[in-house]
Amino acid sequence: MDWLEQELQQALARKEPRPDFAERVRRAARRRAPRASRWMATAATLVIASGAGIAYREHQGRVAKEQVMTAMRITAVKLTEIQARVKEVRP
Amino acid sequence: MTAYAINGKRESAQADERCDLEELVRGYQSMVFSLAYHFLHDREAAEDVAQEVFVSLDRHLAEIRSPAHAEYWLRKVAAQRSIDEARRRKRRPQVALESVAEPATETAPGDPMLGERLRRLIVALPETPRMVMVMRYQEDLDPTEIAALLEMPLATVKSHLQRSLALLREKLERRGKGER
Repeated sequence: MDWLEQELQQALARKEPRPDFAERVRRAARRRAPRASRWMATAATLVIASGAGIAYREHQGRVAKEQVMTAMRITAVKLTEIQARVKEVRP
Repeated sequence: MTAYAINGKRESAQADERCDLEELVRGYQSMVFSLAYHFLHDREAAEDVAQEVFVSLDRHLAEIRSPAHAEYWLRKVAAQRSIDEARRRKRRPQVALESVAEPATETAPGDPMLGERLRRLIVALPETPRMVMVMRYQEDLDPTEIAALLEMPLATVKSHLQRSLALLREKLERRGKGER
């Protein structure tokens, strides 16, 4: 190893970060940890919300179907009544 | 390195994971910080990079199998993050206190100013040869180890070392004070 390489080893000797570095890392690692659970909570909320949306749409579909069936039943009753009156008028 | 003296307990107690990270930080903070510092020549940025490296280690702690593996992992990630930071800074140039030009002074071997001059010359090298030089002279790694860490052919590492040394020698000698 020549003089330049020796000088380089000295110039690039390891240095210490500031004394509070380890504490900074600990704080940053702690901040990261709950971030993951926040993402999980957000994802769970989205799943629940989309599930609720699907259930609500299914419920609306059932209500609409019942309304159509009721309308058809009323129409059928009315038609039967009209048919009976027509029979009465024609001897 | 004592970090793994307590490693056996890690499986049984969650709290020990934090303890392991703290041990690793204590044991390797100077290595990780210095790799970033000698590469970026900016203390603030180097501490940020080193912090990122250890936070990333915290997420991968379960994959670390031995002290040698931890050291290898930290060197590799520190090198990658430092290069990423240098590229990011190139896109958004900023001037660190350490990069402000110093008055032109003559330097000679054994001169305390020579160390600072060498650090400035190193930081002026392109990214890959710069990291090769930092790995070689800060970490005292041989070219084979550097090639494995930086995922490049051994011949390329040797060539970067030779060319960088020749360049540094030439720059120092151009000032007329590099000879011994």
